[in-house]
Amino acid sequence: MPTLEEEIRRLMTEGTAGLHAAPDLMGRVVRSTRERRRRIRIAAAAASVAASVVATPAVAFFTVGTTPTAVERSTFTTAPEPPAIDDTPSMPSAPPSLGDLGDGREFGRMKVGYLPDGLEWSGRSADWGDTYHVSYVYRGDDKGSYRVVITVYEGSAVEEVERRIAAYRDEADGEAVTVGGRSGYLVVQHVGEDGMKGTPTLFLRTSDSQWAEIGFSPVYAEEYSGTEAVDAELLRIGRGLTSTM
Amino acid sequence: MSDLEHDFGAFVAARATSLLRVAYLACGDATEAEDLLQTALERTYRKWDRVARYDNPDAYVRRVIVNAAINRARRRAILTIIPMHSPPETAVRAGDPDLFQVLMGALRALPPRQRAVIVLRYWEDLTETQTAEVLGCSVGTVKSQASKAMAKLRSALGRETLEGAITDAHA
Repeated sequence: MPTLEEEIRRLMTEGTAGLHAAPDLMGRVVRSTRERRRRIRIAAAAASVAASVVATPAVAFFTVGTTPTAVERSTFTTAPEPPAIDDTPSMPSAPPSLGDLGDGREFGRMKVGYLPDGLEWSGRSADWGDTYHVSYVYRGDDKGSYRVVITVYEGSAVEEVERRIAAYRDEADGEAVTVGGRSGYLVVQHVGEDGMKGTPTLFLRTSDSQWAEIGFSPVYAEEYSGTEAVDAELLRIGRGLTSTM
Repeated sequence: MSDLEHDFGAFVAARATSLLRVAYLACGDATEAEDLLQTALERTYRKWDRVARYDNPDAYVRRVIVNAAINRARRRAILTIIPMHSPPETAVRAGDPDLFQVLMGALRALPPRQRAVIVLRYWEDLTETQTAEVLGCSVGTVKSQASKAMAKLRSALGRETLEGAITDAHA
């Protein structure tokens, strides 16, 4: 009698025998890659023009990409390859921000009691109503980057967090923790498709109807001596969070 | 055609079908598998000058495919755009002519990482250590995930019933 493993292997082999890669696959890959590079170069050129011609009306800005000038073409050759584009569907529009948060230590219905040395509010935040977040960076970091991001979930959005934690728990991914008497979950999320290490994250229940998600960027996590040091710092930040609900 | 394109073309011609099968088993949908494969190959092509120097470029593409399949499945679960597949409600009938579809149904019902472990261990014949490297987790996690997945497959398929069906099919 074959083992279950052997039968699974046999069924997989027989069941996929009829699958064959499309003959035009190579062509599609090459065309798609070229198209992607073209879009990136046009976007880079448009951004470059927008930055140098501050007073240019928006309508002129958008017409640049279709008929590039010699100056723009020279910009194309120097445009750096950006990081791999994730296939996450883009948001329909940018959400409103939480406004001027001062030092960023209090936002929405959350107070931040501890931040690692050198980090300050990035000046950016987003507010979707029952979900909002704030990010922290080193002074001088690139605009748009982050070191630490704190996302707060309230009301019905809490269900989303609990679903995600349940999924991690089901896969034995991450571990449950207790932070100052509050329940939480430590996990490395979003394991990179290109071999990146992912985002060390602490989920923390800050009140009956509120969760916080504290995430380190993979780049920032590398500043620490290892996983334990990263987790300790996440827990320290978590311990300092106070709900004002 | 440049040397780079020529080399990459040879790799695609030799390996694309095998990689498509990995993608299909990892995601459970033929159309999504083609999309996963194309996306993975595009990423590979952009880095081909580096990836081509690896001992086994296959492993790189496989890693992209499997992790992309996991991420997409998780995203779907989070966004609840597509309802999760449910395990078969009835046990496999003896003599079921399409055991593979039963297996795929059970595979789809697994959490994405457990499904990936099964595909890598039993389709790709990777060791536990190699599987852990692909998934970016510990060998212990691979063991526990494989154990849980096998228990679910055994339960969902009904090992005794499955064995009966296999015997009938072979008769």
